Amino acid sequence: MVLNCKDVRREISNYLDDDISPEMRAALEAHLAQCKHCTAILDGTHNVLVLIADDRAFPLPAGFSARLHERLRRELESV
Amino acid sequence: MATEQTAEQKSTSSQDASADALLIARVLQGEKEAFYELIRAHEKSVYLTALSVLQNSSDAEEVSQDAMLKAFHHLADFRGESRFGTWLIKITLNEARMRLRKQHRHMWESIEGQSEEDESDYVSEEFGDWREIPSEALERKEIREVISNAVAALPEIYREVLVLRDIRQLSVAETAEVLSVRKEVVKTRLVRARLRLRDMIAPVTTSRGLFSRNPFRRGKRPWS
Repeated sequence: MVLNCKDVRREISNYLDDDISPEMRAALEAHLAQCKHCTAILDGTHNVLVLIADDRAFPLPAGFSARLHERLRRELESV
Repeated sequence: MATEQTAEQKSTSSQDASADALLIARVLQGEKEAFYELIRAHEKSVYLTALSVLQNSSDAEEVSQDAMLKAFHHLADFRGESRFGTWLIKITLNEARMRLRKQHRHMWESIEGQSEEDESDYVSEEFGDWREIPSEALERKEIREVISNAVAALPEIYREVLVLRDIRQLSVAETAEVLSVRKEVVKTRLVRARLRLRDMIAPVTTSRGLFSRNPFRRGKRPWS
């Protein structure tokens, strides 16, 4: 199986998720070994996923938990 | 991440489910205080799910509170067929979408109207040698804003799947369940979301000179 850049873009996400057949993996890695552009896309996508998975990337608004618990307390009291 | 869970993940997931089941039983027996403990681990997922739909912090916070209250009132209906967290996120997504419809913002960005584009037609840009942002950079508000704005700029169908799968790290199956779509649809949307996000963040970060090389290696999960 020989892949072009378009094929690689379609599979890049499954490759990062390790959700790919051995045959597809081999073909994709053969392409990556000779394509700097697709390698850059793979590395960049990987790095973005590392960033957004970090718990600090998306903090809760200040006071969120306190306001949530206060509203719950108010409403649960009446139940 | 592989779609199938590892033995360790299954064990942790099973322990979480058992702990949740105990807390749910206590709440249903009248111990309301146990509900705070039950939802503690899910507060951020609930908020970010609401935010992914509403794109407004105040609305997302209000919907988060509404969703938590709804979960409390319907807790007896939870059958344990999915994780409690997944059930709660699904409630939140429905609440957020109802709020959006009330606001008539769907006239501008319709969930139903967004087409599934073929990701292979998408031309990802090249930014030379991509380098990693050090983890400490996330302490900087400026960097967090770049990431947050990029996520916000995604079309809603891609933003939702990215938030659930890559930010809150639900499995593909759980993401599909929450969104009421097939797993293949999740995967297709995920490709586009990830490539677009990379294309939005890369130019900004590449120009900051913050980086060290961090190529993807086989077998290494993005978030491990």
